Amino acid sequence: MIEVKDITKKFGRKKVLNGVSFTANKGEITCLIGINGVGKTTILNAIMNLTPINSGEVLIDGEKIHKESYEKITFIPDAITMLPQMRIADAMQFMADFYQSWNQVRADELLSFFKLDPNDRISSLSKGNTAKVNMLLGLALDVDYLLMDEPFSGIDIFSREQIADVFTSHLVEDRGVVITTHEISDIEHLIDKAVILNDGVVLREFNAEDVRENEGKSIIDVMREVYQA
Amino acid sequence: MNIKLNSRDPVYIQVIRYFKEQIATGILEPGQEIASRRELANKLKINPNTAQRAYKEMEEQGLIFTEGNLPSRITKDEVIIKHVREELILEAVNTFIASIQSINVSLEEAVELIKKNYHKNPNEQEGNQ
Repeated sequence: MIEVKDITKKFGRKKVLNGVSFTANKGEITCLIGINGVGKTTILNAIMNLTPINSGEVLIDGEKIHKESYEKITFIPDAITMLPQMRIADAMQFMADFYQSWNQVRADELLSFFKLDPNDRISSLSKGNTAKVNMLLGLALDVDYLLMDEPFSGIDIFSREQIADVFTSHLVEDRGVVITTHEISDIEHLIDKAVILNDGVVLREFNAEDVRENEGKSIIDVMREVYQA
Repeated sequence: MNIKLNSRDPVYIQVIRYFKEQIATGILEPGQEIASRRELANKLKINPNTAQRAYKEMEEQGLIFTEGNLPSRITKDEVIIKHVREELILEAVNTFIASIQSINVSLEEAVELIKKNYHKNPNEQEGNQ
């Protein structure tokens, strides 16, 4: 389980996170929802300890993040971090050199799942295919937790569908996934838990099926409620 | 697999309903093997935990059964199958009654209209079953 406990973060005088708390379970897909600029990416960065926080703490399976944690949790940023002149094969080699948890069998499976050619240079790929390579590099790690920042933004509908397919496949099975989005409708039926954010605080954290069952509301209904309250 | 999910009803209930319809109409036959939880999740683009929950519920209701590590199958229990069919029919009839009562249609008039229109559009009727 990932536990985010009352974290705050300031950029200069601007408070971006104002005491954010939520949990994300293993084997579940947790979705951080909020409009642009509410601090979704900052939260993911804070979980990964890529940005210092001013107060609060983040626990991963009860432990604070340390060097070995990066074999257990990974972050797929919204843009690929490999050099553009690399071929897909080079990028995979780079990951294999860096991470013990790299799983080449799974990487190859993902290559064919996404219909990618390992000899293609990253600079030559379309936006959709670049996003798929970016996903591949994270998903091929044998980690327990995956954080994905806006995996669906700015790509065509078929690539989006293909990426959404990953979530229902064995490629994600039993892992804990935290994704951020500002566009929930594509993935309403895919997620277990929604965490709605605004102005650096969690407005509501709920299980999507529970809300449908007990309140007869869709995730978007709940968003409308909390944002317009 | 052709199912349109709405976003307000629990997904697992929509999945169970879909199976009930398939069982009642005989598209899924008694004893027939069904998709694994993951295959179902993948086909319907739903969360695998939800697919799991739908199957668990159907298992408890006796709609499907699983032996050991084998794929789950549709029940062979005719009483249950008959019950599913009756349940769906009654539900459809009640919905129909509610909607014609709300516009003050008498039973005689409704029956007359049913008789007249029942065979008119077989395609549409199939979709509504």
